Amino acid sequence: MLAKLLKYEVKATARFFLPLYVALIAFSLINRLLNPFEAVASPGSPNIDLNLQVIISIISMMAYFALMVGTLVMTVIVMIQRFYKNLLGDEGYLMFTLPVKTWQHITSKLLVAMLWAVLSFLITAVSILITANVQHLGDKLRELVDLVRTYLGPAGPFIIPAYIFLIIAFYTVMVYAAIALGHLFDRHRLAASFGMFCVLYFVYQIISAAFIFLLSTTIPDFFTASRMPTPHELNTLLAGPAIISIVLTAVNFTLTNIILQTRLNLE
Amino acid sequence: MNNILECRNLTKIFGTKKALDNVTLSIPRGRIVGLLGPNGSGKTTFIKLCNQLLTPTSGEILIEGKIPGVETKKIVSYLPEKNYLSDWMKVSDIIGLFKDFYDDFNAEKAYDMLKSLGIKPNDRLKSMSKGTKEKVQLILVMSREAKLYLLDEPIGGVDPAARDYILDTILRNYNENATIILSTHLISDIEKILDDVIFIKGGQIVLTKTVDEIREEIGKSVDSLFREVFKC
Repeated sequence: MLAKLLKYEVKATARFFLPLYVALIAFSLINRLLNPFEAVASPGSPNIDLNLQVIISIISMMAYFALMVGTLVMTVIVMIQRFYKNLLGDEGYLMFTLPVKTWQHITSKLLVAMLWAVLSFLITAVSILITANVQHLGDKLRELVDLVRTYLGPAGPFIIPAYIFLIIAFYTVMVYAAIALGHLFDRHRLAASFGMFCVLYFVYQIISAAFIFLLSTTIPDFFTASRMPTPHELNTLLAGPAIISIVLTAVNFTLTNIILQTRLNLE
Repeated sequence: MNNILECRNLTKIFGTKKALDNVTLSIPRGRIVGLLGPNGSGKTTFIKLCNQLLTPTSGEILIEGKIPGVETKKIVSYLPEKNYLSDWMKVSDIIGLFKDFYDDFNAEKAYDMLKSLGIKPNDRLKSMSKGTKEKVQLILVMSREAKLYLLDEPIGGVDPAARDYILDTILRNYNENATIILSTHLISDIEKILDDVIFIKGGQIVLTKTVDEIREEIGKSVDSLFREVFKC
């Protein structure tokens, strides 16, 4: 059943993202050809001549940045809207009468939201690489991987993507939990959801602060040491927040599941 | 266990308002039951509770002996009073969805009914009128071979000519062992298809009788009895 839910969730969301991705790549190709950054900021001419080329360049640059911001905003909005509208709005009348378990609904929303977040990130990165016309890309990526290895040890290149996944999942599930908690109110559910997000975020900050305090007492010279931390120390430092995020994600997921399963009250 | 649906001391409170007040009810298999009452009497609340879209404040509902959940959703076909279809879908998409999720869904039947109502499978829901969307929803719901149909205001939003087709559709598409519960306040239109009636008022059941009993014992039609019971 989860596979079927995923199929429909991808179908329902792809129509927002695919045109945006195509436009983003298309505009980065246009920018690569026009090279507007050069035309607008050519160092030789102090008073920029507003000729047609410059105007087109500015427009194409602005469109490109708008698309990048748009992709980011769309990723966040779709993540929230799919959960809020498809499960707790009128469409929830269909979703919650399908013979599907509640955790499967939440998981399908979460996995697809993560899929788009990662794709949006990758497409934006690719579009920047196209626009910037990077030479010897392979060599530079290898340099980057080596740099990460020296700081984080041999597993470094895997730790960073895993961390990114975890952070996306963490915040997504926190938003879900906030919406679910807001749903417990009889009225003003949207405002209540927003308030609940602030509460959850506050709790998370307190736990994080407690962790940093704990860390500073166990490794006293960590923050004051002038030497470069070893990979082991850095990994320990990263492991703490990771564990906090994993635990809180599990807590928020369970909370969301319990509320939607036993306290559902669709308007 | 002959009853498809039972509820005991079912109460639902919204804020300070009692939408359902201590309702106890048994509904047998193979009946067409009218859940009749004026606006705001608790009809929709009752049906939503049966579908687990609302959580009871107290009391319980059992459908084929089980509290609402995945197992009951497999055998209950529900028509809400809202439009729950996603606008971006085509009719064929939503039929695909029903086929994917409900084992008892008969796609062939759905396409037949769409054809006779002149709705094309490739039409987008976005371009449809409210009444047409309601017809699509009803077709989806009646194309399932469910054990219990819960139809909330199935004829509320459509014209009288379509009403006849819809009632006909309901009658033609349910099997003898299934039960249909339909809520409405348009009684004269549906009176002829009902076996039983439940009158609900202010969240309480005020009368449950078979239509024959009403005609024989009280000597009235359901419609005139309704007008008498709910006189303002």
